[in-house]
Amino acid sequence: MSLTEDKLIQMYTTMVRIREFETKVEEFFAAGKIPGFVHLYIGEEAVATGTCAVLTDKDYITSTHRGHGHLIAKGGDLKRMMAELFGKKTGYCKGKGGSMHIADVDLGILGANGIVGGGGPIANGAALAAQYRGTDQVAVCFFGDGASNQGTTQEAMNLASAWKLPVVFVNENNGYGISCPTCKSMAVADIADRAAAYDMPGVVVDGNDVVAVYEAVAEAVDRARRGDGPSLIECKTYRWRGHFEGDACTYRDEAEVQSWMAKDPIKRLREKLLEQGILTEDKDREIRDAIARELEAAVAFAEESPLPAPEEVLEDVYA
Amino acid sequence: MAAVGIVANPVSGKDIRRLVAHGSVFDNQEKVRIVRRILKGLEATGTEQVFYMPDSYAIVGRALRGCAVSMDVTPVPMTLTDSQDDSTTAAAWMEANGVGCIVVLGGDGTCRAVVKGTRRIPLLPISTGTNNVFPSFMEATIAGLTAGLAARRSHQAEDLGYRSCCLEILSGDTVLDVALVDVAVHEGSFIGARAVWDVDKLSQIFLSRCRPESIGLSAVGGQLLTIEPQDPVGLHILLGNGSKRVSAAIAPGLFRQVPIASYETMSPLKAYPVLSDRCVLALDGEREVEVTPSRPVRVRLSIQGPVVVDAAKVMRRAQKDGVFVSTH
Repeated sequence: MSLTEDKLIQMYTTMVRIREFETKVEEFFAAGKIPGFVHLYIGEEAVATGTCAVLTDKDYITSTHRGHGHLIAKGGDLKRMMAELFGKKTGYCKGKGGSMHIADVDLGILGANGIVGGGGPIANGAALAAQYRGTDQVAVCFFGDGASNQGTTQEAMNLASAWKLPVVFVNENNGYGISCPTCKSMAVADIADRAAAYDMPGVVVDGNDVVAVYEAVAEAVDRARRGDGPSLIECKTYRWRGHFEGDACTYRDEAEVQSWMAKDPIKRLREKLLEQGILTEDKDREIRDAIARELEAAVAFAEESPLPAPEEVLEDVYA
Repeated sequence: MAAVGIVANPVSGKDIRRLVAHGSVFDNQEKVRIVRRILKGLEATGTEQVFYMPDSYAIVGRALRGCAVSMDVTPVPMTLTDSQDDSTTAAAWMEANGVGCIVVLGGDGTCRAVVKGTRRIPLLPISTGTNNVFPSFMEATIAGLTAGLAARRSHQAEDLGYRSCCLEILSGDTVLDVALVDVAVHEGSFIGARAVWDVDKLSQIFLSRCRPESIGLSAVGGQLLTIEPQDPVGLHILLGNGSKRVSAAIAPGLFRQVPIASYETMSPLKAYPVLSDRCVLALDGEREVEVTPSRPVRVRLSIQGPVVVDAAKVMRRAQKDGVFVSTH
């Protein structure tokens, strides 16, 4: 699948939008305006962006506890997202779900998920429905390295392969499950190795290279649409922030963080696009200004929106 | 007695060709088992010192945990970058520290990274990659025996196997990079997922060798003529509409019809221009070198590639010398 200049600019814009959204969330969380927990996606933008750039609104994704990037890349509404994080009535879950439950079924976003490894079975369900209905829809399951050790994920990969479901398992291996490095929690170094056990293709890509992610996911999505079944794509990446905002990160050293920051996926694409004349400094400024305005509007919307009323506390709550 | 080196690539056999073709997932635990057998083979030759490239999976370290050997097995002192540069760094260190033979576990890409670090040390390349034209499938125990014997001998190609040709990428007269088997001109501007599988995007292929039984891009040339790795001749193919079309296995299980506009043999005395001024060169199957209008490049066949150890040749010499035969 060839990448057009428009597509490259679109992917660059999406990555910047995710970065700027997360930076705002970081700021407002520190200021005490966002309740609950937030897990930021800064540093991993290329994975969600390269993946969702292949999908249509009719395709599905399942997300994780670190889900803002996935939702934005799939077209999520920044205003409703920000309002949800602020706990406001205009948010995606009417202010009662917070960061880890945002969903937009119309866009195929089947939800962020506070359960580590919760996405695989849901993606399988969506894919089974597509297979049953005979549509060409595909479900992408985003999951982390920690989730890769969960039984739910392994069971989902097994069943998806046994039933040749149109699922693409996109693993975001950022090197740590909370504070535990993968070398302490996994007997293998590459999660892609596990694909062989389920008779599906497993590949490793540079998760900080949006073009590499796009190319791999495009092939996996084509394969799924053809009815050839699931694939596993392991994207090696890194989260710049802690597991959650407030994490002291005592389990990793600054040199490691700096070495990954030097591989900033946004900077890499920006430099490449500038060098090729696809992006100019003026165009970049225009993109960033537009995103800043979008975010200002989203924050204003969130701040000005009402909290759910006390008498609504039991509405839309299922558990 | 000269030391033996081991470079085992932890990322070989995992790229996108498992998705776009039918490449095997070559898991690292299998590489661990291969290294154990290599170590046992080396030990049987009386090798006393082995140096190895450390890696994030600790392939050799894990091998040692399941296999006691009476040799000094030492990691090369180096800082890991978790990139192909590690293979290059380790190989260069081995050259500077008197290693007599390097066993390489990987595919064409891994061998290429090693050759960027040394062209002086003879190589015994074992296939654990995807497109394997340079390395061979062989039993690792025998590879260990062979490497142990090869490290004791001179580095003369005729004693050990053959001296392979390779391809050099030139910017002006400076060698920018090296490929062992093939250089392909990819009409794109991104390295991306690295592998090459869309032949419609290729405009030129340069080959240091080709045989009809090859896989990868050298299979394209292999349907036109045969060039052995040690032959001082290469092949330059211009892709496009012409009188010929070649059906070739360009990756495991992946056949493509490749239109041939023209082809010519390459002389080591001449450098052949890359005709696109903005493209990416794929070296041994992986997109590596970006070409821009400000940096035109040419490709030259070099007859000064690495010495490749021929296991059959070395083992038959050992048989003749009675190396493993004792009399009572």
